[in-house]
Amino acid sequence: MSALALAWRNLIRQRRRTALMGVVVAFGFAAFALAGGFIAQSFEGLREGTIRSVGQLQAVDRRAVSTSEETTLEFGIADAARARALVARDPEVSYVLPRIDFVGLATNGTKSIPYLGVAVDPEPEAAATGARGLVTVGSYLSGDGGDGVLLGTGLASALHVRPGDRVTLMATTPDGSLNAVDGVVRGLVDVRIKELNDRYLAAGAGLVSRLLQSSGTVSKLVIFLKAGADENAASRRIASALSGAGYSVVLRGWRQLAVFYEQVKLLYVGIFGFVGAVLVVIVILSAAIVMTMAVTERTREIGTLRALGTRPSGVLRMFLAEGVAIALLGCVAGALFALLVRALLNAWGFTLPPPPGGTHGDPIHVQLYPLAYAAGLVAMVATMAIASYFPARRAARLSIVEALAHV
Amino acid sequence: MPLPSGSRTAADPLLEARGLTRTYTLGSGSVPAVRDVSLMIEEAEFVALQGPSGSGKTTLLNLLGLLDRPDGGTLTVDGREASGLSENERADLRRDRFGFVFQTFNLIPVLSAEENVGYPMALAGVPPDDRRSRSMELLAAVGLEQKTSVRPDLLSGGQRQRVAIARALANRPAVVFADEPTANLDSKTAEEILDLMRGLCDSRRVAFLFATHDPRVVNRARRVVSLHDGRIESDVLSTGTRT
Ligand SMILES: Nc1ncnc2c1ncn2[C@@H]1O[C@H](COP(=O)(O)OP(=O)(O)OP(=O)(O)O)[C@@H](O)[C@H]1O
Ligand SMILES: [Mg+2]
Repeated sequence: MSALALAWRNLIRQRRRTALMGVVVAFGFAAFALAGGFIAQSFEGLREGTIRSVGQLQAVDRRAVSTSEETTLEFGIADAARARALVARDPEVSYVLPRIDFVGLATNGTKSIPYLGVAVDPEPEAAATGARGLVTVGSYLSGDGGDGVLLGTGLASALHVRPGDRVTLMATTPDGSLNAVDGVVRGLVDVRIKELNDRYLAAGAGLVSRLLQSSGTVSKLVIFLKAGADENAASRRIASALSGAGYSVVLRGWRQLAVFYEQVKLLYVGIFGFVGAVLVVIVILSAAIVMTMAVTERTREIGTLRALGTRPSGVLRMFLAEGVAIALLGCVAGALFALLVRALLNAWGFTLPPPPGGTHGDPIHVQLYPLAYAAGLVAMVATMAIASYFPARRAARLSIVEALAHV
Repeated sequence: MPLPSGSRTAADPLLEARGLTRTYTLGSGSVPAVRDVSLMIEEAEFVALQGPSGSGKTTLLNLLGLLDRPDGGTLTVDGREASGLSENERADLRRDRFGFVFQTFNLIPVLSAEENVGYPMALAGVPPDDRRSRSMELLAAVGLEQKTSVRPDLLSGGQRQRVAIARALANRPAVVFADEPTANLDSKTAEEILDLMRGLCDSRRVAFLFATHDPRVVNRARRVVSLHDGRIESDVLSTGTRT
């Protein structure tokens, strides 16, 4: 009869207590597994979403980093086509998207509304950012965009236009004069942020260059890298290639561009860390109570085992083994429970409320993160081992004579 | 250093106490439970420790069985001084040289009769197959060959004590200590248990030292040590007892 076998028998003997403690551990484990998976998934989603909107790297004119433009394209990258071709030659680059940021008024003839415009190269833009998926009515820009225009849903309804209708775009050219061009609404997009939907406008670079009378200059190059590429190394390579070709640009990574990403991440880690700590404390306290009860109830048995020649360490091992066995059983039950909850949530197609400022939430799709399950296992086994240690040590240190006299 | 049990020379007594003293402190006062006791136990002796309640029988048995440490005096086991032994060495010595039988039987409730007998052997590292066959042999020796797989709670008091005796003999001990082994049994069963122990004492050359205040039990002993107020009052060989 090893300490383990004896521990196992005692767990079966006290099956109600074992089950109760196992349930506590199972819930603790499931909370770790599900919440861990949820966090990991949220980070992943946040990261992907961030990269989709700002790109992995952005090249902008050095002056644009510290100063804000007074007029559109004041600090643009001139001769952008050559720069773009240069960047695209880098082996780790998958897409280089030229973008021009501009502002102005859109009018349907009777009503003018301010817009925030972006000029894009439609095909690569759609391929890299999945922008086609944002179109709710009509279609995305095709070819080089022609005279097509995409409007945010809010902006379109304010202008009372639908795909097929004409709109006139007005803007200030870099030399300060006012210009206007006509475009045709191709589609409406929902960019998922309400304020931006009321102002968003996208068009092909050709149309926008005519509007701004500035062919060849862009605000920035948005760069996407191939999967698994080393972001820092690519950034250094591209920067030196561009400066070697005479461009005075700065490259910035998506983490620098999206400060909120790190903030949101910290917030999540803080919230879930706190909840996790509370959970661990609850499990430790209840386990310590359960193990102390077991030691007290079996005091005379401990005295007997010691009298028969069991070393103190043998007694310690027996109670530790009981605690760890409960942890393992609880984790198995918790894993089954977590898988069940996951299956139910996914089958249900339950939608999360929209994030602050967002227009709609995403449906919950809980992914299976083995790392979260492993973390749950480690946390619960460690918790039970710690909670069992002190009662077990007390049992090991009992005076044999007193333990035998215990009634 | 634990010596192998075979290293005892013929001259060394199995167990020798010299001037053993144990005093309990109770609140402000102190209770001298065992005072200046000197005693020698030899191979295959069958000794009763008698005396009125509170005379120190249990305390003395606990000291001799290495379950408790004396405040004064010396104890040698196989000629080896016990006071210098660590807790682990004492545990190993109890496992290898001593057996224990308790008034309340103290079987491990989650183990079957056979597993209870096998437990001390498992501690000693005896392989499972040998453990099993020796457990069976011992249970047969105490008349329980039919009950080997039964849990203690389904056994009668007498049967439980038989399992306890078989367990005490598991590692071929030199001495079995028994504190009031028959106090929880009816008198007929008590006599059977006593006869069983005496038979095993003879057939297996194991010394038995049991505390009791039951005169019928004392009558079956071959040597009777009487305690009074923690001191040995008399120590006589009762050669006239029936066998
Ligand atoms: N843990 C203890 N703390 C204080 N005093 C104790 C303790 N154990 C025993 N004593 C005292 O020591 C003395 C001897 O007790 P012991 O139990 O050895 O006697 P005994 O001969 O076994 O008695 P009984 O026949 O009732 O079992 C008694 O006066 C008792 O009150
Ligand atoms: Mg007593």
